[in-house]
Amino acid sequence: MREHEVTLHVNGVEHRLWVPANRTLIQVLREDLALTGAKHGCGVGDCGACTVLMDGRPVNSCLVLAVQANGREILTIEGLARGSRLTPLQDSFVEKGAIQCGFCTPGMILSAKALLDRVPNPAEPEVRNALAGNLCRCTGYQKIVEAVLDAAERTREEDL
Amino acid sequence: MLLPRFDYHMPMTLAEACSIMETYGDGARVLAGGTDLLVGLKTGSIRAEHLVSLDRLDLSGVTKEQGRIRIGSRMTVADLLSEDSVQSHLQPLMDGARSLGSPQIRNRATVGGNLCSARPAADLIPPLLVLDAEVHLSGPKGDRAMTLDAFILGPGRTALAPGEILKQIVMDLPPAAGGGSYLKLGVRRAMEIARVGVAVFLSLEEDGRTIRIARIALGAVGPRPIRALKAERVLTGSRADARTWEEAARTAVEHAAPRTCHEFKCEAVAVLTRRALEQAWRKAVGSGHA
Amino acid sequence: MKEDFQVIGSRAPRKDAPDKATGSARFIDDLDMSGGLYGALLQSPLPHARILGMDTSRAERLRGVRAVLTARDLPPVKYGVSPARYDEHVLATEKVRYVGDEVAAVAAVDLETAMEAVSLIRVDYDPLPYLLDPFEAMAEGAPRIHEQAPGNICVEVHQEFGDVEAALESCDVIRTGCLKSKNQDGGFLEPHGSLAVCDLQGHLTLYSSTQVPHYVQRTVAMVTGLPMSRVHVIKPYVGGGFGPKAEATPLDLCASLLSMRTGRPVKMNYTREQVFLHGRARHRFFHEMSIGALTDGTLKALRHRCVLDGGAYASFGIATAYYAGSLLGGPYRLPTMKYDGYRVYTNKPACGAQRGHGGVHARALFEQQLDLLADDLGMDPVELRLRNVMNAGETTCNQLNMSSLGMRECIEAVAAKSGWKQKRGALPRGKGIGMACGFFVSGAGYPIYRSETPHSTVKLEVHEDGGGVTVYTGSAEIGQGSDTVVAMIAAEALGISYSDVLVRSGSTDYSLDLGAYSSRQTLMTGHAAKRAAEDAKRKILEAVADVLGVDPQGLDIRRGLLETDGTPLDFGASRMRYIQEHRGWTDHPTGDRLTFREAARLAFIRNGPVVGLGSYKPPPLGGEYKGAAVGTSPAFGCSAQVAEVTVDLETGQVVVESITGAHDCGRAINLTQVEAQMQGAMSMGLGEALFEEVLFDETGRVANPTLGEYRIPTILDMPKIECVVVESNEPNGPYGAKEVGEGAIMPTIPAILNAVKDAVGSAPDELPLHPQRVLAVIMRDGESSGS
Repeated sequence: MREHEVTLHVNGVEHRLWVPANRTLIQVLREDLALTGAKHGCGVGDCGACTVLMDGRPVNSCLVLAVQANGREILTIEGLARGSRLTPLQDSFVEKGAIQCGFCTPGMILSAKALLDRVPNPAEPEVRNALAGNLCRCTGYQKIVEAVLDAAERTREEDL
Repeated sequence: MLLPRFDYHMPMTLAEACSIMETYGDGARVLAGGTDLLVGLKTGSIRAEHLVSLDRLDLSGVTKEQGRIRIGSRMTVADLLSEDSVQSHLQPLMDGARSLGSPQIRNRATVGGNLCSARPAADLIPPLLVLDAEVHLSGPKGDRAMTLDAFILGPGRTALAPGEILKQIVMDLPPAAGGGSYLKLGVRRAMEIARVGVAVFLSLEEDGRTIRIARIALGAVGPRPIRALKAERVLTGSRADARTWEEAARTAVEHAAPRTCHEFKCEAVAVLTRRALEQAWRKAVGSGHA
Repeated sequence: MKEDFQVIGSRAPRKDAPDKATGSARFIDDLDMSGGLYGALLQSPLPHARILGMDTSRAERLRGVRAVLTARDLPPVKYGVSPARYDEHVLATEKVRYVGDEVAAVAAVDLETAMEAVSLIRVDYDPLPYLLDPFEAMAEGAPRIHEQAPGNICVEVHQEFGDVEAALESCDVIRTGCLKSKNQDGGFLEPHGSLAVCDLQGHLTLYSSTQVPHYVQRTVAMVTGLPMSRVHVIKPYVGGGFGPKAEATPLDLCASLLSMRTGRPVKMNYTREQVFLHGRARHRFFHEMSIGALTDGTLKALRHRCVLDGGAYASFGIATAYYAGSLLGGPYRLPTMKYDGYRVYTNKPACGAQRGHGGVHARALFEQQLDLLADDLGMDPVELRLRNVMNAGETTCNQLNMSSLGMRECIEAVAAKSGWKQKRGALPRGKGIGMACGFFVSGAGYPIYRSETPHSTVKLEVHEDGGGVTVYTGSAEIGQGSDTVVAMIAAEALGISYSDVLVRSGSTDYSLDLGAYSSRQTLMTGHAAKRAAEDAKRKILEAVADVLGVDPQGLDIRRGLLETDGTPLDFGASRMRYIQEHRGWTDHPTGDRLTFREAARLAFIRNGPVVGLGSYKPPPLGGEYKGAAVGTSPAFGCSAQVAEVTVDLETGQVVVESITGAHDCGRAINLTQVEAQMQGAMSMGLGEALFEEVLFDETGRVANPTLGEYRIPTILDMPKIECVVVESNEPNGPYGAKEVGEGAIMPTIPAILNAVKDAVGSAPDELPLHPQRVLAVIMRDGESSGS
């Protein structure tokens, strides 16, 4: 099987790789770039644990071929914090108790980030709709919603 | 889960894409969003040695001109939802798009992909059926068009000839005094495949009470989504009221042929049809018609 | 009396949250394993068959394959969960008993090769008749799934407390009902995985996504023949467990054996489909109950029969069968109780322990029948419960002692907060409100294997310099928050700040702990942590007393500072030595009190390493009758919930509009975490009540092995939840704490069942409440009432 050259912009860093066509974006992120934040939950787009942002939009990286991501901007969970400085969204998740086992957390935070980047002042239904593709078995989602709304408020305050 | 091995082609033109598809016949599949194809390849329910990417082709976009709306087949469901120019015209399609999958899936899944996968429960097919949509195909022997109804042959089967690719979905601009709806019965409130789906489009006469055009399509209750023609005939020319909706709803059931849970799904067809008609009528009336 | 806690009772952020929020938390599949191999399993495509022969030669010859294992390569050691019922082989010897049963294991240089090798293994099966229904399996003449189990009975339980028939005779009202449920799944987001590394000194290190490093260690040692001291089980971050990860898996065993065979690290994961094929999740239950009461609502008798569909192997099933009966002894006063339980083998994935264990569906039927009894008696369901609720200190008829029981407070809290009085009986058809209660153990009273072993042990090491401590515990943080709880308890007991406590957990090298199951760690590991901290404190204070010439009895540590009972502490010289020792530091201790950091340093210099040791084992509990152990616990958490639903009367669709829940956790070590566990338990209960069902095709294969078709609640399915935390101050718990993780699921299904009944007028007797089933109930009720 021949390999294709792809250029991925991941968390602001350009990577040039040779990949077989049947390699998915999540495989490249986890195995070639050691970015293990995106998780294998189901492999078929049912759970959202593999969510990353591609050109600012949440996608299931298990259903994107690496070759299809050529030239795109990819943001993974590792691209948010600056060293030990977490973003307001991550801080809110930590403080509001929105994290239990943590497996859904990277995908959940990225879906939330995509929402807040477009809608800085969301109402609760908008938050829930935006996270409808991210399953969580631990939390019952309530503290996740609270965390996203809290982050929205924090960001607005910071902007003022 | 691993994908099987395949050759990946990135044609620069539609003609090139069609040529590759023709060369490899059954062994080749078009790759658009991949949310259906890649799942099928992983589970083994779909086999393909060649994937033909549409990423380099200009098959997106929505245009509205000369009384016709054209949607590029590679348009993602998410992009369609943010297409302001056609929100009010394509209500049932927007309902279907909103209910499809999840935000992540919608960011990748394409209108064309939903049609070509031809799943009995596909969320965009019933709405496009009631919008009387046509599909425009491009192939090695040239272009041709047909109704969506004629395009969908059965579960997973379309009328695409070897080498043909779906280029555009085209429909007449719906009449102004019109309203449409798509309702879906699932189990959860998100990420559901329809167990029963009903799309409806109505347009009214100038008196605002008489039904001029009525279209109903049923999804997930047969091998392919279909227009409920007998129910439509009940509506055309009739007075828009509860009794008409009820009669149309009961008649729609005659078109339903679910393989499982027959009684339950038929009952659901009647309920959803009635509700969709009420909703569509309210939208038609509210659309500013005198 | 409200105690003045420094650390516990707060909303301290979890220790592990930042790692998880940044993607730096490493789960099993994230671990590095350079030079390692990938393992894959060959699993049976048939539900029941004899293995006539196997040919692995083509697989062995495939380039990149390093080992192929079948039963003939392994010692014929049987294992399982309950030593009384070890009925599993790692790889099938003569028979396969369900679609998914493990037949062979392959290790290769990459996953693709391993899977190709698996496909090259030829197995000659002789199909046998198979059983997918427990009643058929119990019937005369049914094929035997296990030779040693006639009638396919895995375990039979017969218990009677008091004379139930006589009691029923004396009752004014008797309600009889039944409830059927389905096989369900844990639904954790992270599939199981294992990584085994066998080194050249003969030590095996097994990383596993497990809830129970200790039990896995024992099973691996027993099966491989390695001594326990050479088996090290390390739990990395785990993406949820909920019960199905509370036993050694075929991945644990095969990865270990393959690593031993090849001398290389071997990694194995389940796909999501394989998680469903593996099972070890919620049993399928068929419950029948008759509950008798007097006209004033006093409960007198319970007659209960249960058939459990257990799948192909015993797993936790013996305990499940017992719990199904024993967990109805409370929280109401029930003078007589009879229970007959039958756990049956079928040719499906084995069922195991899942949140709430065998008690969940039993509780669901019981609470539903209580509501119907209330109807019969013309009594408010809340009133009926309050009338019968036990008080703290009372013992159930099956000898479970409610050392604390905030059941009354929980009921009153949810009734008040939900607006029960205004809503009950006043909602229109299609809207309903229902309530229910439940309780659960705070850790099983006895370990799974017969032993006098401590249940939890903790080592607390005081840093020689710097004033922090490290807590070493074999307990398992699987998302429920045990590391944070342990840190908070240790900090509180030692008198230092939460941020100065580092927890290292989840490894059998750290300490013995039975792990995360039966909702035990807050109470049991918490006790051990508290004792270890107190031990360390004692050692430090003794050293300080020794050096400074005072009586240690008069010393204490609080907020990182030494306190005395009034005796002045002359530590000037000591501080000077400390500062001299730390020339160059810019944060020398100041102030008029000796700091913990100085005291710890002083103790180390005086006596060497300061390590506090703590251990916990429950006292002997329970009665003398057979099976009395199951259900015993040093403490019981309890819960009440009110659910409001809207039922679409035309489609049968149920929407839960709100849940109000109150849980008595004894003492909330961390308030946020208690609420979080309550909310999570309720979401699982809601899923099991409305959506979740494992389907099988006619060949016994799981038909919906995906998270798309096995539906756990999405964010759009979850209503707003109101949480009330009740603290009854459990005398047997550390700082009064007891469980929350499993008890909080008990009321959810029945609260929803009762709300649905309120909405449509009829009580469903089958779960989950898919629209179709609810519509059938509505239609049935419509027919019978002649409308």
